[in-house]
Amino acid sequence: MKYVDEFRSGPLARKLVRELTGLVEPGRTLKIMEVCGGHTHTIYKHGIDDLVPPEIDFVHGPGCPVCVIPMGRVDDAVSLAERPEVIFTTFGDMLRVPGARGSLLEAKARGADVRMVYSPLDALEIARRNPDREVVFFAIGFETTAPATAITVLRARDEGIRNFSAFCNHVTIGPPLKAILDSPGLKLDGFIAPGHVSTVIGTRPYDFIAQDYGKPVVVTAFEPIDILHATIMLVRQMREGRCEVENQYTRVVRRDGNPRALAALEETMELRDTFEWRGLGFIERSALRLRAELAAWDAEERFELPGVRKSDPKACQCGEVLIGAIKPWECRVFGTACTPERPIGTCMVSSEGACAAYYNYGRLAERRDRVPA
Amino acid sequence: MTLDPEHCVTCGDTAVAATVVQVDGLTATVDVDGSREVVALELVEPVTVGEVLLCHAGIALEKVPAA
Repeated sequence: MKYVDEFRSGPLARKLVRELTGLVEPGRTLKIMEVCGGHTHTIYKHGIDDLVPPEIDFVHGPGCPVCVIPMGRVDDAVSLAERPEVIFTTFGDMLRVPGARGSLLEAKARGADVRMVYSPLDALEIARRNPDREVVFFAIGFETTAPATAITVLRARDEGIRNFSAFCNHVTIGPPLKAILDSPGLKLDGFIAPGHVSTVIGTRPYDFIAQDYGKPVVVTAFEPIDILHATIMLVRQMREGRCEVENQYTRVVRRDGNPRALAALEETMELRDTFEWRGLGFIERSALRLRAELAAWDAEERFELPGVRKSDPKACQCGEVLIGAIKPWECRVFGTACTPERPIGTCMVSSEGACAAYYNYGRLAERRDRVPA
Repeated sequence: MTLDPEHCVTCGDTAVAATVVQVDGLTATVDVDGSREVVALELVEPVTVGEVLLCHAGIALEKVPAA
């Protein structure tokens, strides 16, 4: 398949691993955070962790949008879904995320009209076909997904569709990275930055990581060859004493992102003063809400929500996993009380979550013996 | 739209390259490895049949240049 096969070539991967092995300093561990859950998934699906030299330690970041939604927001979603006039629409991955009052799937089992969609535009179509119902879309995701919500709200406004609203939980990638860089005791050597978020926002928003924190960054695509290539680029920067934001994903990422996507976001959304992230707590100016002039399409303005903050389950250590402080298998409930079938924490619910990636690809304990390059 | 059922729809990593087969105003029908999907074009228009688009959550995010 074009754009896939050439980035999964075994011989090329082995060549890159040999190059990487020649670059690392034996015995000196390099902690590289792959920010996006998609990168975590690729690393374990393709066994990259087994291929790279032992000095490379991949640390998993907060870039799974399902994983970072706090329980209180899930409870708000359940509250919306249980309103008799509401058709509640959501990406499938959010259905099983547990809130304090259960998940959306459990609300559906109790009779709530909860429907899975692949796009907010599908939710808008449901609103067109059900003019006597209120259709609410559970808008979550980073800057990759927020433009879809923006386009949908603009279409709803332009078409005068008044029975559609978005429950906006979109988050931005820069502030949690700053929070991680500011957290004491967590030493990282470099970042593999998300590819498709960067398609929208460009590479400039990562400049502070290189300039203010002295850490190299490589914006990276999602195939195994991409990850290996980016790791080489990072290690080369470290060896040469450079701290730059480099772009490995030049096939779709530009320095300034997609100006039309950014304009759609600017027209529809504004930064919240603060927002709670699961595991990271409240982070200032880290999430988006619809602008006041679009209140007619803002579920938070249209409906009363409980808005109660709930603590994460005590047994769950998703917070430490999300900032890379521990590996999933170090969590006290990983693979025992918490499994993909019966998840306790969000990192096990989402297939992009680090815990689910470890569990699904058999990484139940420390890394296995490495495959010879 | 997703090619890999193991992947999370919400996450941007499921953005996939899709080939335009029909354009109708601000909407295009695209082909993803044999299956047809409809995507919004506001962020990438104008597009023509045969172009490859990076698509996520029902919208085209970017044009993918020919390799």
